Amino acid sequence: MIDVLVLTLLVLLAVSAIAVAAFRDPLAAVLAFGTYSLGMAMLWAVFRAIDVALTEAAVGAGVTTALFLVVVFRTTAVRASGFRSVGTVRARSAAVLAVVVGALLWTLPALPAVGDPGAPGFQRVAPEYVDRAPALGVDNVVTAILVAFRGFDTFGEVVVVFAAAVAVLVVFDREVVR
Amino acid sequence: MSGDRQDDVAGTGVVLSGIDSPVVTATVRLVTPFVLTFGLFTAFHGTSSVGGGFQGGVVVAASIVLVLFSFGLDRTLRWLDTTAMTVLAVGGVLVFAGVAVAAIGFGGPYLDLSAYPVPKAVVYGVELIELGIGATVATAIVAMVVEVGRWGRR
Repeated sequence: MIDVLVLTLLVLLAVSAIAVAAFRDPLAAVLAFGTYSLGMAMLWAVFRAIDVALTEAAVGAGVTTALFLVVVFRTTAVRASGFRSVGTVRARSAAVLAVVVGALLWTLPALPAVGDPGAPGFQRVAPEYVDRAPALGVDNVVTAILVAFRGFDTFGEVVVVFAAAVAVLVVFDREVVR
Repeated sequence: MSGDRQDDVAGTGVVLSGIDSPVVTATVRLVTPFVLTFGLFTAFHGTSSVGGGFQGGVVVAASIVLVLFSFGLDRTLRWLDTTAMTVLAVGGVLVFAGVAVAAIGFGGPYLDLSAYPVPKAVVYGVELIELGIGATVATAIVAMVVEVGRWGRR
């Protein structure tokens, strides 16, 4: 049931993921990482996880890439190596990698199919959420779970985001004072 | 506007000092209002359509980061109101906390949005919380990018 679009995106993901590790130039690696995030966002959209796709596109492909770019430009003096410089891979590392990837792929047939309603993950609390969300008047079940059913966790997440911003401000102000 | 390199205070290179490309700046001028509107729409309509506070907040932040990259840090900071950003960042957390705690005052447990004596209380409560989340997320992300960008430049 793998259609052409999903297969293309998976190839794009694999190529860009390898490129992130292979490029020696940090700028090239960051751009490859942004490509990976964009491919991931498109894959989420194909799988109809639009909320995740939006977040992945804005945070992964957008803001994280921007942050990495800023850091690369602030820390490396000259970008001399260019895109063609690819690091060498030792045969032993490649062998270990092949074994790990092979072992992970070995477990793949045990996973339920994508979107399978009989998957174990959909059996416990998910039906409850899906049943109760429309009764609350909240049509987007993701939002209902995040704010109405699991508001405690979400409040913690917002505080974490806020704390991260405060931490960045404090740390970078320190740097300037010194 | 092109050729204006006086923003490049510390010689930090292309990023954060503005790109001298009319193609880039014109594209960003054209695209940013739509991205910003889409982000706000996503944050406001979290209960009835895809997205929510987190998604809308990061899209709004991404649109400002886009401006930051194309017009440079200094020109962006000229219109970016840091006081308003602080108010939004703190206000978002306080709105969430307020909505959660005030439910106790109406006889419900902490975070029970249905305790409010308002029609469709849960929907409005969730939307208010989503707006708070969006405000905090957007300002926090913009603050991080700006702060990393101007590190050591003041």
